[in-house]
Amino acid sequence: MYRIAQPLAPRTLLAAAIASAAALTACSAPGGSDKAGSSDSGPIKIAVVDARSGQLSSLGDWEFKGAKLAVDEWNKKGGINGRRIQLKSFDDQGDPTTGTNLARKISSEKYIAMIGTSESAVTIAMAPVLKQEGIPNITSGQSDGLVALKSEFLFLNGPTSTTYDTTLAKYLIQEKGYKKIAMITNNGSYGAGEHDAFTKAAKDLGVTPVTDQVVTTDQKDFSAALTKIRATKPQVVFIGSEEVEAGLIVKQARDLGITVPFAGAAPQGTPVFADTAGKAAVEGTIVSSPYLSNDSGPAAQKFAAAYKAAYGEDAELHGAKAYDGTNILLTALKNSKVATGRKLADAIRSTAYDGLLGQFRYGTDGVGITRTSIGVITSGALVRQK
Amino acid sequence: MQDTLQTLVGGLSLGAVYALVAMGFSLVYRTMGLVNFAHADIAMIGAYAASTFYLTAKLPFAAAMVTAIVVTGVIGLVIERVLRPLENKDFDLMLIGTIGFGIVLQAVAVLIWGTTGRAVPSPLHAAPLDILGIRVRTYDLLVMAVTAVAVVALALFLSRTKRGAAMQAVAMDHEAATAVGIDVGRSNALAFAIGAGLAALAGGLVGPMLYVDASLGGALGIKGFAAAMLGGFGSVQGAVVGGIAIGVLDSYAAGHFQGYSVLVTFLVFTVAIMVRPTGIFGERTVSRA
Amino acid sequence: MRTRIATTGAVVVAAWALPYGLGSYTIHVVDIALIYALLAIGMGLAMGVSGQINLAQVAFFGVGAYSVAILTTHYGYGFWPAALLSVLATVVTGLFVGIPALRMQSHYLGIVTLGLALGFVNWITNAHISGGADGISGVPGPTLPGVDLSSEYLYYYLEAVVFGLALVFGLFVVRTSLGRRLRAMRDDSLAAGATGAEVPLLRMTAFLLASLYGGLAGVLYSGLIRYVAPETFSIANMFILLAMVVIGGRRSLVGCVVGAIGLTLVREWLSDFSTYAQLGYGVVVVVMVVFAPTGLAGVPARLRGRYERWRGRETARAELRPFTPYSPVERPDTAGVLLAVEGVTKQFRGLRALDGVSLAVHEGEIRGIVGPNGSGKTTLFNVISGFYRATAGTVRLVGDDTTAARPYALSLAGLSRTFQNLRLFGQLTVRENVLVALDRSRTHSIWRYALWQPGVWMHERLLRAQADEVLERFGLADFAAAGPTSLPYGIQRRIEIARAMAARPRLLLLDEPAAGLNGEEVQQLIRIVRSIRDSGTTVILIEHNMGLVMSLCEKVTVLSGGNVIAEGTPQEVVTAPEVIEAYLGESDLAELGMDTPEAADRPDRAKEATS
Repeated sequence: MYRIAQPLAPRTLLAAAIASAAALTACSAPGGSDKAGSSDSGPIKIAVVDARSGQLSSLGDWEFKGAKLAVDEWNKKGGINGRRIQLKSFDDQGDPTTGTNLARKISSEKYIAMIGTSESAVTIAMAPVLKQEGIPNITSGQSDGLVALKSEFLFLNGPTSTTYDTTLAKYLIQEKGYKKIAMITNNGSYGAGEHDAFTKAAKDLGVTPVTDQVVTTDQKDFSAALTKIRATKPQVVFIGSEEVEAGLIVKQARDLGITVPFAGAAPQGTPVFADTAGKAAVEGTIVSSPYLSNDSGPAAQKFAAAYKAAYGEDAELHGAKAYDGTNILLTALKNSKVATGRKLADAIRSTAYDGLLGQFRYGTDGVGITRTSIGVITSGALVRQK
Repeated sequence: MQDTLQTLVGGLSLGAVYALVAMGFSLVYRTMGLVNFAHADIAMIGAYAASTFYLTAKLPFAAAMVTAIVVTGVIGLVIERVLRPLENKDFDLMLIGTIGFGIVLQAVAVLIWGTTGRAVPSPLHAAPLDILGIRVRTYDLLVMAVTAVAVVALALFLSRTKRGAAMQAVAMDHEAATAVGIDVGRSNALAFAIGAGLAALAGGLVGPMLYVDASLGGALGIKGFAAAMLGGFGSVQGAVVGGIAIGVLDSYAAGHFQGYSVLVTFLVFTVAIMVRPTGIFGERTVSRA
Repeated sequence: MRTRIATTGAVVVAAWALPYGLGSYTIHVVDIALIYALLAIGMGLAMGVSGQINLAQVAFFGVGAYSVAILTTHYGYGFWPAALLSVLATVVTGLFVGIPALRMQSHYLGIVTLGLALGFVNWITNAHISGGADGISGVPGPTLPGVDLSSEYLYYYLEAVVFGLALVFGLFVVRTSLGRRLRAMRDDSLAAGATGAEVPLLRMTAFLLASLYGGLAGVLYSGLIRYVAPETFSIANMFILLAMVVIGGRRSLVGCVVGAIGLTLVREWLSDFSTYAQLGYGVVVVVMVVFAPTGLAGVPARLRGRYERWRGRETARAELRPFTPYSPVERPDTAGVLLAVEGVTKQFRGLRALDGVSLAVHEGEIRGIVGPNGSGKTTLFNVISGFYRATAGTVRLVGDDTTAARPYALSLAGLSRTFQNLRLFGQLTVRENVLVALDRSRTHSIWRYALWQPGVWMHERLLRAQADEVLERFGLADFAAAGPTSLPYGIQRRIEIARAMAARPRLLLLDEPAAGLNGEEVQQLIRIVRSIRDSGTTVILIEHNMGLVMSLCEKVTVLSGGNVIAEGTPQEVVTAPEVIEAYLGESDLAELGMDTPEAADRPDRAKEATS
């Protein structure tokens, strides 16, 4: 009897441990009771989630700078209700899985709102969690997929692809009378969105593109696609791709003897695009963008000057969008006396804001602006058309 | 027809760059049996260095290239010293260790040059040539010419100079080479430095064709590696043929399969390499059982 | 054993109690970490255990996750049926990706699998059905009656159960017959083939296992995140996974798990400094590879080794004990021909290593094969044992034409061999080396791992008992748990013979068994070989030690320049003028450096890069 007692000891211990664990479970389901309740004092915590490392980090960098500029200005004026605004950057690495981790993280660290991301895929992955936790999100994405989510906590800080491309198609087809339009788009989230939006917009106006070339996001040589485009002798080439790749495409197109203008949305108005392609190559490019240049008006000039003073580099669209988005959020916070959750979302929806991109009036779909302007690159500068 | 030829020209110019990358891979592999997955990231550092000397320090393009090659060669020596314990070891370890080094180089590039990357304007301003409707960029011709010179120079170095012959001997049998008094360590270091220099050459040349950022290595690396395999790992002429083959294959796949080009390129590559695992020219294995 | 049960129990209790102390964010991170841990186990099974460089693991993960998303959102399947189909789809993909492994290994395989992984990402980015670059959102989560799996706390338990079972199954595989063969193949695929392992099937099995775990991880990912997009399955994440496996220790599944969970947590913790964190992983990976190639999992063993060396304690007073002879069997009066080599020619690029060699070996014989260096002796062994295929001529074993047979088939048909330059499985213990050869089951019997695990276990116990018998007989019992590479040369030679005999062959080929042995060891060898023959196994040996040949062999075949120049009793051949001439010439040949690269020639079937 005594002899077998000893070997049993670990097992008894184990049984006891299991029993106690079972008892624990029986008493309560696991899980914290961390509701996103905010305290009424201390700083107002706002998260910026964007890619800060990896391939997409330049977008994240610009966006953070724009958001920070807005927050710094508000803090300089004394914050909101006497409370400072605290902005913190989180790195999603352009990866949706990391994005969902961060959604949980900002919720558990009691951030009341989120700015970002610039990658639609990451924003879409995060949306259900943010909705569940009641954290309003002002994103820089422009994919129509964002609108399709129908989350009342998700707001866009700019127009959707459809807006960009409808405006552009109208200009090209109705104003300029182009009939032969070639398309080249990439298969990434942005490019595919542009492809669908522009094809639809052009079809609605009775024009079918003469050729429709799809490239990959990491392609380097576009000879095949561009030769096919050249063979169709188009009057204009629509380009749906991000800054660098679009720049390469235009550069190679000029070398292949394609002389007609290119037309595209916001990326085609940026300095990175122009630098990559070369100044001469981008001359005449038609751009549909809500923010054509840093001197398109007094507000833009003031923003651009402040941006330059703060970071020593020229402002561009992404910074401007984040600046607008952050200002809208801060205005809503002020109007609602620092509400959180659904009340804050409602406050954002009812905020009317005149910003760098235009007049924001949010509808139920989370889109606040449905206009873009057309500019043409003339002598290296983007010049607004009428 | 014009389509086909124009696509071929596009494929050839990138193929020349892949060939340079593959040549560096192969030289290091045959001399010291090191499969260097960080090679393309060394090329990326070379591209950044060349663009910095060219754009920021305002050196002439050729001088910037030479400086970048020297700087990268020195970095190559340092890397070789760190990775020396891996040489001739288990391939898994080498693969993983050099991938680790690649990750380090990328992080370093981001810390030094930031995340935005830079466009490098072409040093040649001449208009593209137009031959029967086929447009050929003058810069691409320069790249092909430099690649050709590099191939010939490397081949001559390996066959005609004492150091080159020593490297060949080490490649064939490093124990026998040691026995006849060749300093294997120095020979390996030299091979790595030349390999790094070739990488810098590839990176520097590709700068004005593409866009320089930290992910440049990823774009060049896998294709360059595939090129080395397709040509026959360890063979200089194989690297050239493989590089051009991958470049052209890539271009045609892009033309015919549009967005699916990557899938098609790698499927074709997989089938090709399964049919002939030793590549077109056969592997020049470092046989050290 | 008892401490192991206690530790396991403690881990289970800790896993049970874990969610009680965590916030919603932390539990989410833990959920993600478990998914990565599953992926890492699959990676470890393919890379660490089987030596198959698989850089497509993240694509397997993607196939699993996307299949669930597509089946549930497009085809209206419920989560569970979709999960089952998805795991199947992933395994099919895994087998497809594994096909190149039949033709190539190491870095070649790495690049090909990496290319296929890129191709997969390219496909999901383009295809309509996978939602293109935007991915698929709104994937329904799993449901269980009475349990709300939308709570990440309860989802944790689902994951923990799947993970626990998967880990136990993985460990079970590694420690029993299949895993042992996989590890043997990793250490030396030629020797594994010669001991009866069907190398091609085993390579496919490695990919099957990797994809099984990848698929499981993918299914759990879809159920947890409920959204899939191409970025998650990018090459960058593949490299992070690789870092996890290397840092943890690729050869130990527990190490892989520790690496995966550890790195996921560290990654979250350092998420504010990601560039520096990236620099950090890179440096840690390089440092680990250079200084601790076995990863964290290998650290305890290294420390223990160092401690013991510091204490100066002899680990064991192990010694090689004498061989216990087999009980002889009656020899039949009329011995038939066991092995017939007829007109075999083997041509290498520009070199004729064998030129019309014919010989017949009768049952119960001890045949010696002698000849100068480069006369084609080892080439002949390689042809007989299936490593080389003869350019012309036939080889018959017990009357069956085995000219084109694979090494494993010959091994199963009763042929065993040793190697001139020892080919023991370096990372396996001595006992495991013997077990690999003892295990005569075919690879297709691995269905039992899926359906009848007790069968595997019973088979295993039987084998272990037999292994102890073999080790005892060869006097190796003291070294059963040692790694062979650390043992003296003479003992390694003995182990090779024990391993070859463990397969209970009818014909045993010994390639220079006395090389490097001292006088006493040679005497022991003679006794062992005699006893082996008396037990009914026919022996052919290649030897330079003429004393050994003279005293042991009944008949000797002399090769020179790929031809049989003499055959007869030892006394007959040493006096034959052709033989004297051939041996006189040898020293000249050696001086001229004309040794044909007998051993350096890589065998035909090893041309899959570097086997």
